Amino acid sequence: MKDFFATFKHDTWVMPYLRKYKKLLALTLFLGLMTFFCGSALMFNSGYLISKAARHPYNILMIYVPIVLTRAFGIGRPAFRYAERITSHNWVLRIVSDFRKKLYQAVEKQAVAIRQNFQTGDVLSLLADDIDHIENLYLRTVFPTVIALMMYVLIVIALGYFSWWFGLLMLLLLGLIVIVMPLLSVLVNGARETQSRAIQQTFYTQLTDAVMGLGDWLISGRRADFNARQAAPIDEIAQLRRADHQFQWWRDFTIQLIFGVICLALMVWSSFYWTSNRDSANWIAAFVLSVFPLVDAFQSVSQGVSEWPSYQRSIVRVNDLDTAPVDDHDQTILTEPFSVLRVGQIDFRYPAGQRQIFNQLSLTLKAGEKLALLGPSGTGKSTLLKLILGDLQPDAGTIQLNDVPIAHLQNERAQLFGVLDQQPYLFNTTIMNNVRMGNLQATDDQVKAALEAVELAPMIDALPDGYDTMVAEGGARFSGGERQRLALARILLQDAPIIILDEPTVSLDPITEAHLLATVFRVLHDKTILWVTHHLAGINYVDQVRFLEDGQFDMAGTPQELYATAPRFKRLYDLDQGRD
Amino acid sequence: MFDPALFKLPGMRRLTVILALLAVIEGICIIIQAQFMSVAIVGLWHLKALGTVLQPMLIFAIAWTMRQLLVVVKNKLMYPVVEKTTGDLRRQVMQKLYDLGPSYVAKTGTGNVVTTALEGIDKVQTYLMLVVIKVIDMMVIPWVILIYIAWLRWREALFLLAIFPLIILFMIILGYAAQAKADRQYVGYQRMSNHFVDTLRGLPTLKQLGLSKRYAENVYQVSEGYRKQTLAVIKIAMLSTFALDFFTTLSIAVVAVFLGFGLIDGSITLLPALVILVLSPDYFLPLRTFASDYHATLNGKNAFAAVQKMLALPIATDRDQLGDQPLAWQADSTLSLQQVAFSYDDAQPALSQLNIQAHGYQRIGIIGASGSGKSTLINLLGGFLTPTAGHGTIKVNGQTVTHLNQTAWQQSFFYIPQNPYLFHATLAENIAFYQPDAGLSAIGAAADKAGLTAWIKTLPDGLNTAIGEGSRGVSGGQAQRIALARAFLDKSRKILLFDEPTAHLDIETEAALKQTILPVLDDHLVFFATHRLHWINQMDYVLVVDHGQIVEQGTPTELTAHDGAYVQLRNEMGGGK
Ligand SMILES: Nc1ncnc2c1ncn2[C@@H]1O[C@H](COP(=O)(O)OP(=O)(O)O)[C@@H](O)[C@H]1O
Ligand SMILES: Nc1ncnc2c1ncn2[C@@H]1O[C@H](COP(=O)(O)OP(=O)(O)O)[C@@H](O)[C@H]1O
Ligand SMILES: [Mg+2]
Ligand SMILES: [Mg+2]
Repeated sequence: MKDFFATFKHDTWVMPYLRKYKKLLALTLFLGLMTFFCGSALMFNSGYLISKAARHPYNILMIYVPIVLTRAFGIGRPAFRYAERITSHNWVLRIVSDFRKKLYQAVEKQAVAIRQNFQTGDVLSLLADDIDHIENLYLRTVFPTVIALMMYVLIVIALGYFSWWFGLLMLLLLGLIVIVMPLLSVLVNGARETQSRAIQQTFYTQLTDAVMGLGDWLISGRRADFNARQAAPIDEIAQLRRADHQFQWWRDFTIQLIFGVICLALMVWSSFYWTSNRDSANWIAAFVLSVFPLVDAFQSVSQGVSEWPSYQRSIVRVNDLDTAPVDDHDQTILTEPFSVLRVGQIDFRYPAGQRQIFNQLSLTLKAGEKLALLGPSGTGKSTLLKLILGDLQPDAGTIQLNDVPIAHLQNERAQLFGVLDQQPYLFNTTIMNNVRMGNLQATDDQVKAALEAVELAPMIDALPDGYDTMVAEGGARFSGGERQRLALARILLQDAPIIILDEPTVSLDPITEAHLLATVFRVLHDKTILWVTHHLAGINYVDQVRFLEDGQFDMAGTPQELYATAPRFKRLYDLDQGRD
Repeated sequence: MFDPALFKLPGMRRLTVILALLAVIEGICIIIQAQFMSVAIVGLWHLKALGTVLQPMLIFAIAWTMRQLLVVVKNKLMYPVVEKTTGDLRRQVMQKLYDLGPSYVAKTGTGNVVTTALEGIDKVQTYLMLVVIKVIDMMVIPWVILIYIAWLRWREALFLLAIFPLIILFMIILGYAAQAKADRQYVGYQRMSNHFVDTLRGLPTLKQLGLSKRYAENVYQVSEGYRKQTLAVIKIAMLSTFALDFFTTLSIAVVAVFLGFGLIDGSITLLPALVILVLSPDYFLPLRTFASDYHATLNGKNAFAAVQKMLALPIATDRDQLGDQPLAWQADSTLSLQQVAFSYDDAQPALSQLNIQAHGYQRIGIIGASGSGKSTLINLLGGFLTPTAGHGTIKVNGQTVTHLNQTAWQQSFFYIPQNPYLFHATLAENIAFYQPDAGLSAIGAAADKAGLTAWIKTLPDGLNTAIGEGSRGVSGGQAQRIALARAFLDKSRKILLFDEPTAHLDIETEAALKQTILPVLDDHLVFFATHRLHWINQMDYVLVVDHGQIVEQGTPTELTAHDGAYVQLRNEMGGGK
């Protein structure tokens, strides 16, 4: 319980949306209520109808009203149910639209951090799933529970109107079904859910191990070990499921028994209350029969509520996202054309990291210069690029463009920097649209010219749909080199003065790499380029080389100078050229 | 509706009979319960005292309890069979996976394989649990009830009988209409539902392009479009539920009115009328519960079919042509491939006319542009791929084999790809993967030779630190060193297959790693696919691959002298300025 309230204490995702679209929500609940009301009323009315008819009224008009009502309720139930389904989905999907926008904005704020914290992008799918999850929370838990509770209150009040003690009895009996049983379910299920998640996780890990490491298993010849490893979680899962099912069966059984008791109680009550004369006795069948359609409505509450622990996780996770709006009143723009980038004696350490990544590092890059940044992986090359882009702030020192601190130029970033990294993202739309993202004002001809410049035109012309070809998810239909070229075309359209290249050729083979680098430096010849690279192919394209090691530059110079003076550079260069 | 494959499951036939019998008993309980509840109500209706109806009330209570108990009993009977079936399925899937090997995973995708084995079988479990009992209930209980109603009064029974096929007919018709409409919208619909994840993943790029803020509105608009489309589909899809609902409730209403008229003209008395009225919802109940789980059933059925399909795939035979003990590869051992070919999907051959003669502790480099077939060749040598049947011959030590997926062969080599897989286990377990019985000191020594000692010192638990997916990150260079440590630990495997082990590393890591790799190459037969030229200097024989063929082979000196594909490739690779 405490847990339940703690979840919503600082909630900005679930509660506020119950208030938004209030009318639609009220309509949904009303329709849901009417569905069950009609179901129950149909049996109530039918019971009355035949009891009354059995008294042989001399005029058929005496039962005319119940006949009409019977038909009305008979049609009303499916109609209300249908309408309820549509409105509830409509409501939930509206919320989902809001959620998505909100989630997008939250993620947008930390776009860069997300990419590096969660390399695979799994977390993004996870967050997207969370939203679907909250969607189910409404449809499977909130609506049925609220509707059942409303029914509960109405029934108790209605019966209490006839006789208060019987109303009280129903308050108790139905309370067992709509309150006690669901709470019990959530308690039992909550404990099991944690355990189940742990087992599922081991199973998942072992399975992934088995699948991804299958080649190793095969050549190791350890077939028996392989089978034995998989068997344990299989049995554990089975055991857990068994306990789960057992609980559900007996819970449902208990609920049904309570309904049986309610039925009996109604008969007993009727025998006191409705047997004063023949007319009132006609109501007995009505009351007793109206119980059965309610079973459906009340029984589903326990199941819905028991799913709460899994929803809770999603709610907590989205609430952990920082959704506060960013403050950008200190932003300015660069008035003169870019002339120099200065990194002045910066220190940097990741808040979570133990290592000082940079120590009094300085770097100056003038307009038009081309600089290559090398160093073993993990030394902080990408970190330096993030500092320069303003995604991270140095602990000490300054980073300026023409004397304006980079932190104040964030709104203008896309006009200043073009970035090509290891895996440029291609959106699942046409080639044309993807490239045009570099500059939304670009005409078709400009886009085509950019694609021509990066030497993709022949390839695209050969495609059946040409420039309107869909690139498929993640650009899957193109090779690594082609994807880089598409991204390069995008950067050409963007036309920013400074180009940041973060190991764009890392996943390419040497021939593709050589061709791509030739294109990059040809089309970007008039730009300022800061190029992080992992080996020395194409190093002669740049004017300056810097080696980053232990937070400082330990080699600097033109490639020719370094080859002549630094033995380490010479050795690596020769290795790269295959001369070792 | 009832999958014939279900009946092939062990114990299912017997169970079906038992469940059907229990369903008959359940039907009878339902009748007794309705009958005696009605007796009690009619008693009260006749203004009799409570004491006179206590007996029927008691019988009602017993029948009601029995009925609910039967539900539990049926589940309890069903569950062990389901549990055993799904447990067996999981085990069979895992064994099959082992037999199918990595080429199956490569073709199907890791994600799909994991999904089939995990969620797929979960769905199968739900499916089995739901479908069998519900279908049997649906085929038994309504008829038991109907017979009783008919015995009471045939007219209402006839009406209820007639409405049953009508409902199913309407559900089917509307179901098809919904399907057709859903199919038509599916493409756009799918794209919209994926759009969100696509946008989130592309966010860093959007930010770089200065579009990220503006895109929030786009996300909202697309989502709203998605909502409208979804609603359009739901409106139709829900029609079939509506039809079911409509006909069942309306039927009850009609029956009630019929009975009302019957009572007025005296052709029936209250008791049977009430019994019929009470029974009619129960007559439809099995159909309704079946329909409400229809989608879960459908998913389960598809998952079941997918698992069955995987289990039916053919597996490699003749894996013991070289015996089942590891080969002792020696200085005079030979491997020969003559005119061997391979194709991925029986279309164009990916490799053709392969002629390779390897012997003793040769070091054979395999070079070629990307896509030329280097990895395919290595996988063929490792036996992960099976050569086209009837093409050429493969001989190991003079013994002809149909493929290299030989138990003995596979236990004689190490395979080191670009990204060696690290198991979710401790570092020591990872190193000792091929030698699970190795002692800690031997593992430590191997790790030391692989140049891991300095790194291990920084780890909290040294060799016992957990690594692998989700645990401590391991860099690409370190992963290669762990794979090399495996080779240092197990000296009995004398053959090494490398597939571009350093392609993704930075030049300094590569240079350092090379110093570690070189000693491993001694006294081994080595196949080394690479596009990093400097490795060629360590090879004593080179195969140049282009478009799936070996276009040139010889010692590096021979090839350099001969101005052919090798020289041309070197020039291109050294390219740039
Ligand atoms: N978000 C982060 N939090 C903590 N440490 C990080 C983070 N991102 C990177 N690091 C660490 O900082 C170091 C430098 O990383 P990076 O700049 O990506 O290196 P490079 O690009 O040179 O390979 C690495 O040791 C890395 O583990
Ligand atoms: N699983 C596969 N299914 C179908 N074709 C494949 C598969 N793997 C590779 N190919 C194709 O086979 C050819 C050779 O690929 P590969 O052996 O990976 O080349 P390399 O390793 O030299 O880069 C390529 O044309 C590639 O597209
Ligand atoms: Mg980096
Ligand atoms: Mg390859």
